Amino acid sequence: MDTKIYLMALLNTYMAKFPSDEWVKLYCDKLNANQKYADAGKNWEGDIVFVVEKDDSLPQDEHIYLDLYHGKCRSAKYIHTGEEVPKSEFSYKGKYGNWRKLMAGQIDPIQGILTGKFRLDGSKMKIMRFTSAAKEMVNTASMVETEF
Amino acid sequence: MWFFRSPRIVFGEDSLSFLSMVESRRFLIVTDRYLSGTDILKKVKTALPTGSETMVFSNIGSEPLLSEITSDMDSIYRFEPEIIIGLGGGSSIDAAKIIYALYEKPGLSAFDITPMDNFGMGSRSRLVAIPTTSGTGSECSWAAVFTDDNEKRKNEVASPEILPDYAILDPDLVLDLPRAQTVNTAVDAITHAVESYVSQWNNLYSDILAEKAISLITPNLLRVISDPHDFSARESVHIGSSMAGLSFSNSQIGLAHALGHAMGAYFGIPHGKTVGLYLPEVVRYNRRKAGPRYDNLNKLFPKKFISSTLDLTLRNYFREIGQPTQIKDIPVQKSDYESKISDMKDLASQSTGILTNPEEADSTALEMLLRSVI
Repeated sequence: MDTKIYLMALLNTYMAKFPSDEWVKLYCDKLNANQKYADAGKNWEGDIVFVVEKDDSLPQDEHIYLDLYHGKCRSAKYIHTGEEVPKSEFSYKGKYGNWRKLMAGQIDPIQGILTGKFRLDGSKMKIMRFTSAAKEMVNTASMVETEF
Repeated sequence: MWFFRSPRIVFGEDSLSFLSMVESRRFLIVTDRYLSGTDILKKVKTALPTGSETMVFSNIGSEPLLSEITSDMDSIYRFEPEIIIGLGGGSSIDAAKIIYALYEKPGLSAFDITPMDNFGMGSRSRLVAIPTTSGTGSECSWAAVFTDDNEKRKNEVASPEILPDYAILDPDLVLDLPRAQTVNTAVDAITHAVESYVSQWNNLYSDILAEKAISLITPNLLRVISDPHDFSARESVHIGSSMAGLSFSNSQIGLAHALGHAMGAYFGIPHGKTVGLYLPEVVRYNRRKAGPRYDNLNKLFPKKFISSTLDLTLRNYFREIGQPTQIKDIPVQKSDYESKISDMKDLASQSTGILTNPEEADSTALEMLLRSVI
């Protein structure tokens, strides 16, 4: 990412488009700076793909890959059109409009699944032990100055 | 969007006789080892339709291991029950939910019962819950707790599909409940009501049920303690407890349950006693986020106990009924407790009670709360 953009983002004066390379980079950095996430996810091992499904405001499905390990984001990648989506232990899928609501705090990440607005593939039992980490991931996303 | 889920509830005097109206003939009764030798089991069997075939599975202890719950599944598959009855306290009813799920979906692991999946249960049998304690709320909830064989952990599993089809609240079945169990389970119910009322998922339905539960339980529990065979008071506590169960089942629990489950996993103290141990401190901790709502509940306690804030009112009330709020008042050595704080903190941090608690709780906060009762 451009150094100037990155510095602007750190100062919360840059709006990163969701989803994009810039947004994913900022999100991963914010996760790594978030002590609450480090605490809640300290025993977590596993990668996850966020699937942002198309709707009236998004013409095609988009994917974000996150490699999360012991409360840190080891790597993150925005998957460009045509690129192969990496296999992952979990995927969390929802329509673009619902992702916007999630990041605005209008949908709780677990309630979102229970009401059918999001779907989770992977071990539900494992996720249920890390609900606070999941919630902190959403809180962290809301810290990224985001342009939709 | 949210849901309100409830079993069909049969309540009041002689409600056990509802069983005679059920058009099924093959009944599995899941109960605990103690109840299997009592008149309560006989009453239930007698209430079943004439000519019914009955199988009793009673390998359930107070904190059942999954291996105990599933120890006779082959016989249950062969018996092919049409109705599965959970008879007893929370452990028996929760065990019945697990058995029901595994009977409906052979091959399913109990660990995989989550609200995030649709299983299509209900094609082979129906689930009926008959509580013989007043407090766990299990008869009205879609959650179940069991102890893992391999880890010091109480597993909380949940699915709307394990919500009982019917809950039968017959006060006659709790008339002889000993004082200690009466208090422990009622404290659990009070904790359900308080935690659901301030849960981040609270809603108009859970609110009204929590308020009514506190109004019913807190004065009538005192009457029951004074006269255990006061039928009207027993009935009010029984119904109030199921309302508290419905409330939390539709909004979720909080930190007192997260901490109580963690402590229970290590020290085998009754569930109601552990959640009540932490409740006043949790209420104090949450006050910044939930103060006005706690104030609403505070007004509902009997006047002689009401203090300026709910945590103080709870302490007054708990003192009266004999619910401890300090480790020194329960059979756990302080040094043993302190040696397990780190482990309990980790377990609590994985509880779903953390998710919906009004105030965020990181590991520092959990440790502070665990130490607050020393």
